Amino acid sequence: MKKIWLFILPLIAFVAMTVFLLSGLFSDPRYQNEVQQDRALPPFKLADVMQPAKQYDESLFHGQVTLLNVWGVWCVTCAVELPFLTQLKEQGIPIVGLYYEQELDPDFGGKSLPQIQSEITQQLSKLGNPYQINLFDQDRSYSMDLGVTGAPETFIIDKQGIIRLHHIGDVNQRVWQNKIAPVYQQWVNQ
Amino acid sequence: MITEVGHFSLVLALLMSILLAVYPMWGAARNDIRMMSLARPLAIAMLLFTLIAYASLTWAFINNDFSLSYVAQTSNSLLPVYYRITAVWGGHEGSFLLWITILALWTGAVALFSRPMPLQMVARVLAILGLVAVGFYLFILLASNPFERMLPFFPVDGRDLNPLLQDIGMIIHPPTLYMGYVGFSVAFAFAIAALISGKLDSTWARWSRPWTLAAWIFLTIGIALGSWWAYYELGWGGWWFWDPVENASFMPWLVGTGLLHSLAVTEKRKIFQSWTILLAIAAFSLSLLGTFLVRSGVLVSVHSFASDPTRGLFILGILIVTIGGSLLLYALKAPGLKGQGQYHAISREVLMMGNNVFLTAATMVVLLGTLLPLVHKELGLGSISIGAPFFDQMFTYLIVPFVFLLGVGPLSRWKKQSPAALKNQILLALGLSLSAGVLINQAYSTFSYLATLGSVLACWIFVTSVQEVVQRTGKAFNLNALTKLTRSHWGMIAGHVGFAVTLMGIALTSQYSVEKDVRMAAGESAELAGYQFVFKGVKPLNGPNYTGTSGHVDVFDKGQLVASLDAQKRFYTVQRSMMTEAAIDSGISRDLYVALGEQLDNGDWGLRLYVKPFVNWIWLGALIMALGGLLSATDKRYRLSKVALAKKSKQYTVSHTASSPEVLK
Amino acid sequence: MKKLMVLFFAWVTVFSVAATEEQFKFTDMQQQQLFRELTHELRCPKCQNQNIADSNALVAQDLKRKVYQLVSQGKNKTQVVDYMKQRYGEFVYYQPALTPATFILWALPAFIVVLGLIVLFRKRASQDIDPDKLAQAKKLLEDE
Repeated sequence: MKKIWLFILPLIAFVAMTVFLLSGLFSDPRYQNEVQQDRALPPFKLADVMQPAKQYDESLFHGQVTLLNVWGVWCVTCAVELPFLTQLKEQGIPIVGLYYEQELDPDFGGKSLPQIQSEITQQLSKLGNPYQINLFDQDRSYSMDLGVTGAPETFIIDKQGIIRLHHIGDVNQRVWQNKIAPVYQQWVNQ
Repeated sequence: MITEVGHFSLVLALLMSILLAVYPMWGAARNDIRMMSLARPLAIAMLLFTLIAYASLTWAFINNDFSLSYVAQTSNSLLPVYYRITAVWGGHEGSFLLWITILALWTGAVALFSRPMPLQMVARVLAILGLVAVGFYLFILLASNPFERMLPFFPVDGRDLNPLLQDIGMIIHPPTLYMGYVGFSVAFAFAIAALISGKLDSTWARWSRPWTLAAWIFLTIGIALGSWWAYYELGWGGWWFWDPVENASFMPWLVGTGLLHSLAVTEKRKIFQSWTILLAIAAFSLSLLGTFLVRSGVLVSVHSFASDPTRGLFILGILIVTIGGSLLLYALKAPGLKGQGQYHAISREVLMMGNNVFLTAATMVVLLGTLLPLVHKELGLGSISIGAPFFDQMFTYLIVPFVFLLGVGPLSRWKKQSPAALKNQILLALGLSLSAGVLINQAYSTFSYLATLGSVLACWIFVTSVQEVVQRTGKAFNLNALTKLTRSHWGMIAGHVGFAVTLMGIALTSQYSVEKDVRMAAGESAELAGYQFVFKGVKPLNGPNYTGTSGHVDVFDKGQLVASLDAQKRFYTVQRSMMTEAAIDSGISRDLYVALGEQLDNGDWGLRLYVKPFVNWIWLGALIMALGGLLSATDKRYRLSKVALAKKSKQYTVSHTASSPEVLK
Repeated sequence: MKKLMVLFFAWVTVFSVAATEEQFKFTDMQQQQLFRELTHELRCPKCQNQNIADSNALVAQDLKRKVYQLVSQGKNKTQVVDYMKQRYGEFVYYQPALTPATFILWALPAFIVVLGLIVLFRKRASQDIDPDKLAQAKKLLEDE
């Protein structure tokens, strides 16, 4: 039969599909944002949430490899990772917070700044404070420039201020060892 | 105690399925009548044991036996009894038990209503169904056992049923959908049995058709119910999201529709056997693939069950054995098949098979669109999304030639149709449908090309259907002539007209729906599509297992009150989840749809208002299609099968009376 | 007939005036249409599988607001989509871009249509030796 390949085609297609289904079983189907990697931090001018008079820009990250952690007191998972991040800080890893406020609608205004400050102080004194400073992203627009989907998320910023990793989800011992630490070390050693 | 009986019954059912898979098949190979005769009793025994298992689990739910970890996960003592009965399929394990129960039901039905078939065929068909069942009984017993106990420490109360599932639509939807999915196993078994025996004559196609039709009817209704449920329960006003799980049910439907037509050609003209066989294998394979996609967690979907890779691996194993095995058998046996009939380039069979090509291409679009994001990511190319814009675009391209052929097919004759005779009818139909379609869309102030295209296509089907009936009844067009048409003929007409109704609904509602997000205080009003929506304020809500708020909206049309709607926001206390219950005023030509959003800081409420023209036509059309299927399946030609179907549905009602008598409507 | 039809459909006018505060208000109908289209075709990156119009997630609200801003500024569809892709990658847009890897999405269905029709007609051509008579002959043979 000359057209015998037509009859084998379905089997071949099925086998090919199975290979991908099998490998798919062992990987995480959730979204990871890969486009930010190896890109310079978008320029910013953000205030310290605790001292609004102090303004910072990208130069904050120059000179040392830093973790940038997006968080908020309203976020349950963030509360879970705070103690672990504090451990990291005690090992000498610099961590900068990007405070991601959850107001449903910036047009309507949300909590007042003193209110937010007192919530942060309370949370950090309870669970540990890993942050050098907390940048205040009031309307979450800088977070959008970073491709942030929510909290918590963590970035590795190298000495030149270039994003080397964007991790969505919490940081724990396992994630740190398998995913974040190797990248961090690589850029510290460089 | 009853739980242990159920568990043990399930083990016995597994045993029966193993025996069923082995002995009759062996007997058929050796032509041993005694061994082949075992097929029917074994199939019935498998069904009975499965029903006992199913009943025991239901009993555990009714009596709030929270020592069963599955019951504790999916039920709660505050849950009303009718939801406790339906909570049996509210989670992974139980819904799998339902799946396997339905497989046993179909197997039992084949055993009971296959009297006129040769014993060898019956033995093979039942053995294949038994073989499929073995995998699933093993899976349920080893990897998702609903009878697992949490002893000695069990919770005093359960975690409650997912609020999304506490709804009438969700009571009927899963059993109906599974009846469809699993029903294709019968067509599959017939195809494999025919491949093994090498006998692919028109009798084979005739036996297979009513079973395929029955499964297709259930699947059609099941999909429509799911879409309807999403429409009123999710509160987004959408009715189809191209979500992987929806796609998983849509693919077997597309292939099943192709199979119905291909079977008709094979029965009538003894041609395209190998294609028909492939479709029968594909319809069930895609059902299995759907089961895998929903339960393995490889795809991100709003419907996925929580899952671990072992379960996925197990189901993938079943897939490899079942699909891989049957496709291998197909590759070995099918090239030897030869069609007998001859035909011309323009003939009914060519037009019908042409549409089979388009249905296959459509299936491929859905399959690729569903799986490519996974493949893309596995290849290390990053995350991509494939959604509505892609599918809509591809379906728009495919549907134009498809609908054209759909209209011409019934007008033409088998074997050979003279193009000249067709030409005039086509021109007339084209003229009529073009003007009707354009006219309908002239009524809208924003003219939409897509809606016009959709309406023209729908009208094309209406017009050609009428032409076909006129052609059949000859010049003497009267009622007497109409009654002479067979039931399966009316079935075809209803199927096509139903499709046109759905198409019309889709075209108009997707292009002319309007929506508005508003903030309103009590007493304020908003206008949308000429309607005045007046927000009357909210009042608290107290249900058996939820609390919440109900917002009242009166809708006026030119000062006349046309609808009084209560849109609810419920908070289910045990699961701690918020649910939107949209309020809908349904009509044949439009739905008014209100969903209550969040309360804002200043006391106002966020509301979503929709006016959706002709949205109900989508589901009405599906109902007409299913009715068409029912007419065809009960045609005189399948008289024996007709009795079978009636009995079978009776039996189905008996086992489900408590929960869902609506299934049969 | 025509009048009746027009009357029948006349009530569904897309014209509307906001009496209460609308969340995203446009003066330009075309911009409103573009906004609707974009919010239905952009995917909420935080959700399971939802567009940003349907989703109530915080990030979806933010993206919707950004789309509103950009559209109000007169940006066209490609510009808005590129803005989002720049930040969230290809994932954020439900229409996949044409790349060597996604080419198959369009190519395979087209291939199936072409191949299917070719096989259908080839098969016929090889059998095109006066099929009616052949069938008649066959029938005679079968009847005997």
